[in-house]
This record gives sequence, C-alpha cells and structure tokens, in this order.
Amino acid sequence: MSRAILQLRDVHKSFGEAHIIRGAQLELHTGERHAVIGPNGAGKSTLFHLISGQLQPSSGQILLGEEAIQGYSPQHINHLGLSRSFQITNIFPGLSVFENLRIAVMRKHGMQYHFWRSIQRYSEVRAQTEQLLEQVRLQDKQTVCAAELSYSEQRALEIGMTLACDPRVILLDEPMAGMSHEETDYALNLIREVTQGRSLLIVEHDMDVVFSLCDRISVLVYGEVIATGTPDQIRADRRVQEAYLGEEQCA
Amino acid sequence: MKLTKILLAVLLLALLVLPAILPAAMVNAAIQMLIAALFACAFNLLCGQGGMLSFGHAAYFGVGSFATLHAMNALNGEGLLPTPLLPLIGALGGFICGLCAGWFATKRAGVYFSMITLALAELLHSLAPHLSMLFGGEAGISSMRSPAWGLDFGDATQVYYLTLGWVVLSIALLYAFTLTPMGRLTFALRENGHRLQFLGYNVHRLRVLVFALSAMFAGIAGGLQALNLESANYVLFDMRFSAEVVLNTYIGGVNVFLGPVLGAALMTFFGNAASDLTQSWLLYQGLLFVLVMMFMPSGLAGLVLCWSAQIRRRGWLAVIPAALSALITAGLLSLAVVFAIETLQRVFSQDYQALLIADQPWPAISLFGREWLPGALLTWAMPLLLGLAGLLVLKLARRQWLRLLDDEPAAGPVALRSRVEGEQS
Repeated sequence: MSRAILQLRDVHKSFGEAHIIRGAQLELHTGERHAVIGPNGAGKSTLFHLISGQLQPSSGQILLGEEAIQGYSPQHINHLGLSRSFQITNIFPGLSVFENLRIAVMRKHGMQYHFWRSIQRYSEVRAQTEQLLEQVRLQDKQTVCAAELSYSEQRALEIGMTLACDPRVILLDEPMAGMSHEETDYALNLIREVTQGRSLLIVEHDMDVVFSLCDRISVLVYGEVIATGTPDQIRADRRVQEAYLGEEQCA
Repeated sequence: MKLTKILLAVLLLALLVLPAILPAAMVNAAIQMLIAALFACAFNLLCGQGGMLSFGHAAYFGVGSFATLHAMNALNGEGLLPTPLLPLIGALGGFICGLCAGWFATKRAGVYFSMITLALAELLHSLAPHLSMLFGGEAGISSMRSPAWGLDFGDATQVYYLTLGWVVLSIALLYAFTLTPMGRLTFALRENGHRLQFLGYNVHRLRVLVFALSAMFAGIAGGLQALNLESANYVLFDMRFSAEVVLNTYIGGVNVFLGPVLGAALMTFFGNAASDLTQSWLLYQGLLFVLVMMFMPSGLAGLVLCWSAQIRRRGWLAVIPAALSALITAGLLSLAVVFAIETLQRVFSQDYQALLIADQPWPAISLFGREWLPGALLTWAMPLLLGLAGLLVLKLARRQWLRLLDDEPAAGPVALRSRVEGEQS
C-alpha cells in the first residue's frame, strides 16, 4: 500500500454552538483518486475549507506529507503543493481566459513582484499557459472574457487554474455540479487525464462519476467519516445504505 | 492601435508647442491640468486596476508636496538633488506614507477599505495644523525654486516643461507597469482577491505594494504642485481634493488606462474656465458626475471607445449623422440646464436682491451677452423650449444609435473591458 500524502487526524470544527466536523479521519494515498461523498450538510465543503486553509480547525491535525498544515494560510498551503477548485465558480471574470491561466501559472515562477520587465518576455510562462489551455481544451476561447464562457467551460477553466501550479494534491469541490450529461462526460475525461500522476480528493454528488473515477471512497455523515473503501466495499456497506437510503428501508 | 499611437504622438507634440501659443496665465492652467492628470492616473492604479476605492488620496498628494518643499528648503536645489529632480522626494514621501497607511487599510476590502483611507486622510487633515514643524501650522510652508542646470525656473514656461517631462514619464511608467507580471496581478486583485490566495499569492502584501506605488505617483504629482506653487498648507489634505480625484477618475472612465487622464484634464480645464464665468461650477461638476454614472458608467473614455468601435465597423459616413444629432442633443440640453441655473443663481444672488426697489419691476440680468427681464415670459420659457427641443432631437439620436447597433451583440461594460485588457494576451 502506498504512503499517505494527506491525512486528517481527529479534526473538529465548530461555529459557535454548531459542531460541523466531529472528529473526521481521512487518508489520501499518493497517486490515488479519492472521493468524499455524503448527504447534504454533512460538512464536505467545510472539510475542504479546513484542508485548504480557508478555515482553521478547532482541534485535530492535518498532515500534508510529513508537515502539519492546520492553521496555515491558503497561499502557504498552496506553496506546499496542494491546490483546490471551488464549488461555486471562482475565476477572474473580467480577464481573458489566457490571462486567467497565465496568472495561475506565474506563481510557481516566483515573479509576483516583478515590475521591471514586460510579461511578454517570459517565454516559459507563455509556453506553459498555452500547454495548459490545450490541456483543458480552451485554445479557441483564449481571448474571450472569462465571464462570457459557458458554464462548463468556466468549470474547465477553474480546473486549469487549479492545475497550473503543478500540485501534488488536488482538491476538486463538485466539479460537475450543474452540468448536462455531455458536459459531465467531457469533464470526467478531463479530470481523469489531468490528474495522472497526482493525488486527487474530490467531492461529487454524481454517483456515476464517483464510482467510475475513483479508487477509494469515503462517506462523510454529520461531520464524521463513517466508512472508507473501494467502490465495491462502499456499495455493500450497511451503514452507508442507512445514511443514504434512510433507516426504515434497511430495517 | 496604430491610430491610438498617432493620436498620442499628436497630443504630445501639441503639449510641447503649447507654451508658445498660450498666454502666460493659461500656461499656469495647463500646468494644473498636467498635475491633475498624473494624480488621477496614479489614483486609478489603485482604484481602476487594483479595485480599491480610496477616499483619502489627497493625503499622499499632500505629503509629496510637503516633502518636496522641505527638500527645496533644506537643499536649496544643490548637491545630488537639483530642482528638476526634487519630485523624487515627493515620490519617496508618498511611497513611505503609502506603505504605512496601506498596511492598515488593505487589511480590509470594499467599503471598509474606503472608510479606513478616509479616516486616515481626515486624521492627517486635523493633525496637520498642529504639527507646525512638519506642515508649518495654519500658514503652511513656502520655498523658492533654485536655478539648476542653467535654467532659473523663473517663469511659467520652464516650470511647464519640467512638469510635462515628469508627467509624461510617470504616466509612461504607470502604463508600463500594467504590462509587467505585478501589473497583471493587480488586475486579478480587482477581479478576485480570494482566488489569488488559493493560487498561492500573498494578497495582503500585493495590496500594500499597489497602494504604495499609487501613493508614490500621487506624491510625484504633489511634488510638482509644490514646485509650481512654491508653497503648501494643510488645506491640501482637505476631503475636497480626495473627492475631486475620485470624480475626475470616474468621469474619465476607470477601465481605460488614459480615461482618468482625460477626465482630470477636462475637469480641471473647465473648472479653470468656468470659475471666471459662473459661481455654480461645483453644481455642474456634481451634475456631470451623476449623469456619467447613470448613463455611461464606463466614463468619457468608454464613450470614445464605443463611438470609435462604430466608426471602425461602419465607416465615418454612416456614423456622422448619429454623432451630429447626439452632439446637438447634448448641446441643447446643457444649454437649457445652464440657462435655468444661471438665471436662478443670478436672481437669487445677494447682489441682485440688493438692487430691488419695492413696487418696481425687477431689473434685467445679463446672460450670454443679452439682457433678460425676470418678469418676461421668454426668460423662463427659454430653458423649457431649449430642453424640449433637446428631448426631441434626443429621440432622433436614440433611433439613429439603435440602428447603428442593429444586428450586433450588445456591447456592455464587460465587453468593453475585455477588449481593453485582453489586447495584451
């Protein structure tokens, strides 16, 4: 079994009285595609916010590789090789598609404070941006304002921006939400392709996607991971059926 | 693109020969226009590009002014910093103050950011008269331009060329900045600072630096003002100047690089010209701002872009009738408003009221070179008629404009913006 690249150890998060995450345990192995599923309000998005630095856990430990990252700032966590996308499209709407990706690519070149040289001269950034454009299949749209893209194209752009810093770990928060069937198929192939050689943690409601894409699945209910296993194990798990289908049907 | 370059070259040439044509009093007005243009351009780095609306930018302009004056007094224009290089001290002052104030202000975004900048500027405004060492108390401080490089800077023309040089250089630098990695990030900051964090950028540090750079160029503008007036007092920190740069910038258009330059130059010009003709300039300024915000939120520059896009698409000939009726509409409506305001302003002024004698008809007032009797119907019918005529032509202009727009996807502000900034991709 491969080594864990991301571990959550007994993570808690409360907002005042509301105890949202109650001792979550999770292990993401190097190179695997791992889904987090669960009913609405289970705390999936909160879990992502905790891992990516948007929120700080009330207690518990989050390890990225060997390093405890709980409480780090989002940009610090990004520098350590973890990149995430958002459930609600989170791009630079007034800038062109090319610019959106270029800004994402620029970071790993450490040139954010360069003000003495035109950006046109950084040929490596340009080449990588073009490569990324091709990867998410938006070459034809590169001069279009990101706000004017179709919904699924915006989601593709979001994934492209997430990939730009060449992360070890990728967190995708409901990348397929609101997509049609064809769009979902397209995005599924895209995700499969671009996450080659990386570790993926994904929250998704579309069970077809989850079961066909992922190596392992964790089920989050009321802020606790109640089961983790391969798709087949999860399908057969009695507690998962209870959580999803309701107790009366299983009784 | 080519046309823009030609126009800019022509503009620069015109600015170079200007002092030869203008009378000396007007050269001084031209200097003020240049300074206002640079100030607005510096402000727009923060506001239009960085998406941070500062309500206290006069503070950095003022600090630049005072810093330059102190340097003038201390150095006498000798040594490493002869008179032409003194605005560098203004830049330094603006930058340092910008770093300090920006560090606090950029901790918050949106309205809270604006309020902090406003509070910091007001703090300076109320502290300044008490700090007589720094700001010379209520009287302020003054100095003299020393000769340097074989120039004595005695007359307005030499100061004009010095100002022109600094303003052109600074605006060119500000433009070049938008093409650098940090400049591109500044746009992203406006669009979505939250996302930048998750792409691994230190957003607070970036915001502080953009704030400081903007304050630095405002400081240069302040330094030029100090060189021009040879004095400054704490009134420079007044809220009025902070508001003015906001108005100028928005009237010019925040989404086009040269928009604020256009807005500031025009507003300063009209302000100068109108101050002799009317007492109601502030009212006109406010009206203009409201109209721009309501009917063309992308400002005068947006209007220019809109029309030039039509010209490119349809050719000059097709656009001229619509442009003509639009101009006539604007002319008639402004004439109506000006007529009404000026008549009322004159009739209610204290000077005029003192002339009144009981049981006698009110004496005539002169306006546009003619005498108008307040008792006559025509005096009051005039603005109404002008306004009515303006509205009629407006209907025509609207129909013509819609015909021009026919079979074209609507060009909203977003589309305009992408054209301007997308050109670099």
